[in-house]
Amino acid sequence: MPIRRVVRHALEPDFDRIVEATSARDGIDLVAAELPSLVVLDLGLPDAPGLDVCRELRAWSAVPILVLSARHADHEKVALLDAGADDYVTKPFSPAELRARVRAIMRRVVAGTAPSARIEFGPFLMDLSARTLSRGSEIVHLTPIEWELLRTLATNAGRTLTHTQIFNAVWSGRKYGDAQQYLRTHVANLRRKIENDLLDPQYIMTEPGIGYRFAGLR
Amino acid sequence: MAIAVAVLAFFRARVDRTHVVLVLLLVILGASAAGGRTLGVLLSITAFFVFDWGFLPPFDTLVVRDPLDWLALVAFLVTSLVAAQLLYTARARRDAVERAQVLREAAVLKDALIATVSHDLRTPLTSIIGLAHELAHSGDEQALMIEEEAQRLNHLVTDLLDVARLSAGGFPLDIRPNALDDLLGVVVRQFAGRSDRHRLHASLDHPDDVVIGRFDMTQTVRIVTNLVENALKYSPVDAAVQLAGGRDGNSVVIRVEDSGPGLPPEEAERAFEPFTRMSSAPPDTGSVGLGLSIARGLATAEGGGIQYRHRPGGGSVFILSLPAEQS
Repeated sequence: MPIRRVVRHALEPDFDRIVEATSARDGIDLVAAELPSLVVLDLGLPDAPGLDVCRELRAWSAVPILVLSARHADHEKVALLDAGADDYVTKPFSPAELRARVRAIMRRVVAGTAPSARIEFGPFLMDLSARTLSRGSEIVHLTPIEWELLRTLATNAGRTLTHTQIFNAVWSGRKYGDAQQYLRTHVANLRRKIENDLLDPQYIMTEPGIGYRFAGLR
Repeated sequence: MAIAVAVLAFFRARVDRTHVVLVLLLVILGASAAGGRTLGVLLSITAFFVFDWGFLPPFDTLVVRDPLDWLALVAFLVTSLVAAQLLYTARARRDAVERAQVLREAAVLKDALIATVSHDLRTPLTSIIGLAHELAHSGDEQALMIEEEAQRLNHLVTDLLDVARLSAGGFPLDIRPNALDDLLGVVVRQFAGRSDRHRLHASLDHPDDVVIGRFDMTQTVRIVTNLVENALKYSPVDAAVQLAGGRDGNSVVIRVEDSGPGLPPEEAERAFEPFTRMSSAPPDTGSVGLGLSIARGLATAEGGGIQYRHRPGGGSVFILSLPAEQS
């Protein structure tokens, strides 16, 4: 099928071996047998919804999953990310775009193995143990919620986090009236403290309809 | 009618005028049903005179002796006219209902067809774009054109699908609280990779205020991106396009201003109709005129709207308003 050929050609430069499956069942078996370093999952499988495949894989494997999804389906992407997919690429995509996303995932996998006590981005330094954000010698004052928000985003840098994932991480166990509005207001306030240009942010990127992604790690 | 009158005239001495009236009315109703309103009215008037001339004493003259006969004559005329008209209206209504039914069925079929065709077109398009991209990468210039045209086709397919869904009223929207910052930021990012990005000047009316509205983020990004794209397309090559947003009462308001030729008053409303291209459009804009109609359809479905204003000093202002979140 041409779509598999497109994926294979895009990924061949970066991977020693690429194996293909044409159904969810075969794909899951193949992951179990081959223990791959990355799974590219097309949602148009004949025998099962992609969401179920994602959940099943996540139940016993930490393999990074990149989803190929159709347009007009934000709720689908959100459900997939919530189910443990690492990223998604929207059809129609160019091979270059696919390659870039895959490389970003693989970089994150490598970096994620060594947790750090300090995160640097732009002129900022986050000290995770002292819970401070500084810009040069100056401390940037953040409210506890803003700190948690920034910490959640920055420790998952490069990865799109859904609104639900962020909310669960930052406000875990607390009850609030309108979670949606709350999250967006706090992101807006946090941006006003760290971004130069609110409409061209360098660190907290909006993924429309999905969530936020932290960019610009040094 | 002539036959009926002849028969009635033959038995004139024996029939009552009530029988005459009933027979004439039946003839008029039959004629109206078969021949339409004009024939019905004509026959009503003819029957009026025939009734007077032949069946009201004194016979064979239009003179009416008994004043009560006048009442009978006028009542007959009014009854026959009203009956002819009622019959006509009923028929017209039935025809309209049948026509509407046919049109509705055609519309449902059209929407279903567009939806299926659009979905089925998208997957092979991905393959075409991907494979053409591969070829273009190895130096084939024609493959680059294939890729560009396939992308264009993809946009067209998307637009057609949306027009179908918007007109069917079944457009899926995900309306929730969203920040104006996020909306405008995403739109700015859409233009980041383009050579004319420096022409887009984005700003917040009050940068210190956090403005939250209730809208579908993805679709609203499409609306604003479309307005900005139009503004860039219809204004002079080096002229700036202003994108600004803020809160105005119970609304979040986003304005897109250009310094192009503006729309003539007679085109300002027509611009929002599907398949409309402006007279000022360059001949090869590569659009089929669906953008603004989709934009307005989406804005309306979100509980907002798009207005057009003339920009003082020349140019257009498109104003998108959306419901604000009550804080």
